[in-house]
Amino acid sequence: MSKSVSLLLAILFPVLAGTALLVVRKKDDRKKILAYVGVVLGITGVLVINALTTKETEIVLFELMEHVPIVLKLDGFGKLFLAIVSIVWILAGCFSFTYMKHEKNEKRYFGFYLVTFGVLVGLGCAGNLITMYAFYEFMTLVSFPLVIHNQSKEAVMAGLKYLFYSFFGAYMALFGLFFLCRYTTTLTFTAGGTLNMELVAGHETLLLVAACLMLVGFGVKAGMFPLHAWLPTAHPVAPAPASAALSGIIVKAGVLAIVRVVFYLFGADFIRGTWVQYLFLTFALITVFMGSMLAYREKVLKKRLAYSTVSQLSYILFGIALLNPVGLTGSMLHMIAHAFIKCALFLCAGAIIFQTGITNVDDLKGIGKKMPLTIWCFTIVSLGLIGIPPTGGFISKWYLATGALDSGIAGFQYAGPIVLLISALLTAGYLLPVTIKGFFPGDDFDYDKLEKCEPGKWMTVPLVILAALSVVIGMFPNGLLSYIQAIAAGLM
Amino acid sequence: MEILRNFPCFSLILSMCASIISSALNGKWARRLNIFVISAIGVMSACTLYFTFVTNQCYIYKMGRFSAPWGNEIRFGNLEAVMALFFSVIMLLSILGGRKHLFVEVDPFKENLYYVLINLLMSSLLALIYTNDLFTAYVFVEINTISACGLIMIRENGHTLEAATRYMLMSLIGSGLLLFGLCILYDITGHLLMSNIKEQVLLLAQTGQYHIPLVVAIIFMGVGLAIKSALFPFHSWLPDSYGYSTASSAAILSSLVSKGYIFLLIKIFYRVIGFEIIAESRLFNVLFVFGLCGMIFGSLSAIRENDIRRMIAFSSVAQIGYIYMGFGLGTKAGMIASIFHIFSHAATKSMLFIAAVGLTDASGKSKKFIDLTGAGYRNVIAGATFTVGSLSMVGVPLFSGFISKILFAQASVSVGVNKMLPTLIVLAISTILNAIYFMKTVVRIYTPVKSDYPTIPWKQDVSYAVVCICFIICNVVLGMCSEPIVDLIRSGLAMFA
Repeated sequence: MSKSVSLLLAILFPVLAGTALLVVRKKDDRKKILAYVGVVLGITGVLVINALTTKETEIVLFELMEHVPIVLKLDGFGKLFLAIVSIVWILAGCFSFTYMKHEKNEKRYFGFYLVTFGVLVGLGCAGNLITMYAFYEFMTLVSFPLVIHNQSKEAVMAGLKYLFYSFFGAYMALFGLFFLCRYTTTLTFTAGGTLNMELVAGHETLLLVAACLMLVGFGVKAGMFPLHAWLPTAHPVAPAPASAALSGIIVKAGVLAIVRVVFYLFGADFIRGTWVQYLFLTFALITVFMGSMLAYREKVLKKRLAYSTVSQLSYILFGIALLNPVGLTGSMLHMIAHAFIKCALFLCAGAIIFQTGITNVDDLKGIGKKMPLTIWCFTIVSLGLIGIPPTGGFISKWYLATGALDSGIAGFQYAGPIVLLISALLTAGYLLPVTIKGFFPGDDFDYDKLEKCEPGKWMTVPLVILAALSVVIGMFPNGLLSYIQAIAAGLM
Repeated sequence: MEILRNFPCFSLILSMCASIISSALNGKWARRLNIFVISAIGVMSACTLYFTFVTNQCYIYKMGRFSAPWGNEIRFGNLEAVMALFFSVIMLLSILGGRKHLFVEVDPFKENLYYVLINLLMSSLLALIYTNDLFTAYVFVEINTISACGLIMIRENGHTLEAATRYMLMSLIGSGLLLFGLCILYDITGHLLMSNIKEQVLLLAQTGQYHIPLVVAIIFMGVGLAIKSALFPFHSWLPDSYGYSTASSAAILSSLVSKGYIFLLIKIFYRVIGFEIIAESRLFNVLFVFGLCGMIFGSLSAIRENDIRRMIAFSSVAQIGYIYMGFGLGTKAGMIASIFHIFSHAATKSMLFIAAVGLTDASGKSKKFIDLTGAGYRNVIAGATFTVGSLSMVGVPLFSGFISKILFAQASVSVGVNKMLPTLIVLAISTILNAIYFMKTVVRIYTPVKSDYPTIPWKQDVSYAVVCICFIICNVVLGMCSEPIVDLIRSGLAMFA
């Protein structure tokens, strides 16, 4: 298959397949829909793998405007993103086969689920800023129905909040884009940045403001302070597999966009040592701490996980903001680890809700006795998120901390690792109680009433795979690590 | 090939004759004639466009026996032809889209009058596009106003009568100012043909003679046309006249009538006074400031609105603000962006009005948001059309609105910081405000409720569905293949000067 077709196919196939599911009116029975979705997910997976194995290519689809083409290009970082997206999306998709039984409108859910998959693949393949912006906006639009799926008043309001925050962020970014159109040689992503220094001379402040706006704007999706408030509202109201996908992947789109802007357009050198970098670092650290604190205080499990996402995402952003290869390596590793872990955590929460209907952390006493496999997975990935070796979280946090220490930025050099450590403690504080209460319910627990309610295979298998992945990347990181280090070194 | 040169003149005369003939026909035949005439004009404009595009030059066509500087002329190049083509397409779609409503809302005995007015309006728009004579332009401005008043009033209820009166008053003030400006210009230059005036104005500018009268003339004409095209703060007539008139009228008024005046203003800038002299007079700065205000205040009023039609009408105020803001940048790039926005807004706004009418039909004719809840499910095609229109307004890539935003931004970064920052900031704010009220509406029409209103399948009104699909295609084409259109505008503007 030719290179250009393989990329395009991987984007269009799920989008068209999803649209077909949405448009066709026939009342199918459940099995047929699930079979269809399963086949589509599988084929898309194959298509993505096919796209991943091709060499780095650049395809100009068409000219949107003069000098503004729509370009697809798959580079090392894009491949990484694509790989994470596909794994998480397919596994969460399998999980929803069972989970969605107790929700209505399955067809719509799966339709938009597939379309979003395609758009995310497109986002990873986007070769220039305009293309990325287009996919970014589409992603907000097509993931919106996933958020408001159950259509309660609460869900719709949360969805609106999500929509408005996202649009607001996107327009802040668009504002920066306007400047970039003028001051760059090209908007195509090029490692090292594309600023036209002759034009920039004398307008540095303006461009720094633009950079700041783009960071804050795209940071909205990544739940960065000060525009993080949508995330803990919107993620928990979605059906569990959708929240898993949102928290695992959609937020990473913000990270992707920030990496693209910082390293591929502005260039790390332009931002290093400026107030923008310090602001970015400050925001990231504030978010790390605040997210953990809020998660610690939250009692509803899914909300707690959403706050945890806020906190963990800013680990990634912190690594990016350090603007050195070690920090960036840590960020990318954490991006992978967090995608698997957070997806698994939300799926566990979903499994618990599906089997017992419990949403509150305090009611989870003895849950480990009822659904041991689920809670074991929960425990393993929790350890990963806290950063205990040999899980993936340990490696990534190690690199983040080393990166901070290496950076030599006064203040942040030490403040960074300290905040990361405190936050790790808080992470343990908000995740482990579930395990502890679940397996050690205490003396007053009535073992007679205990009945096993382990969920079905479609739910447990994805969980086990995700948990295993999170451990495997921690135990055998070398291949991945050298791949990531090569990317990071190429960007500085 | 040579015969194509006559087409602009033919299309003008055809639509004028059609309006006279329509007055003697019954409603049904008047409608058929009208649709035939508009399609014919569309085809002829396309031929004209092909002709000017291939030969790549503009033509002056003598009307009557006298030659310049006494006779009357029409003149056409790429920009005029593409404008005429676009106007006729939007006109046709708007009429077809609101056809069903005409039967209900207009007295059957007066239906042919409606088509008389439409034909008159078309001819006046064509004349504004093609004419090379300032006084002819004035005459057709008046014809345009009168027919537009008729289009508002033909629904014959209290609201529309009031709106039409208001429209009439404001419009007459506008035309009065235009006439003043024109008289002063005639006085100091001694000509009425645009090209002759321009020569004289250049001379005057070089010698420095009559400086103040010239500036006054420019201001009168600028403000007069700004009032007529509803630039903030002269927009108070707009929401009522767009909000209460019948659907086709609203679509035509918002997308075409105001644009005709704006096009005349562009002609005055380029062909009558000359771009440099206008820039020196600092009229652009005034338009710039009011354009920016319009962008913000139009959207704010739209957010407060509780009636879908009036909301769309207020959004027009904001969009007209965009166009004037582009003028205000005072560069060629800004002008191109504004002209592109004329296309983009005309296509989107008529689409929104037509879609809104489909939604209100599915909600017991109520225009209140509370009744519109879930209307997107009851009238699927109207819901989809409205969504596409909203996305375009909000500036989602691949739709036309995004391209105009990018064009405006690109134009603004090449002017000084004094204008660049306000433009970009207001552009961002206004985009967010747009997103607030349009996305709110989209969410509302897709919020499921148990409703007593019946579902309207698309088969019930096939022509409406076709129109909607045409609008969507039109919008996506503008959004995805903007390059040839921008090229056309650029070459057209080059032919202008």
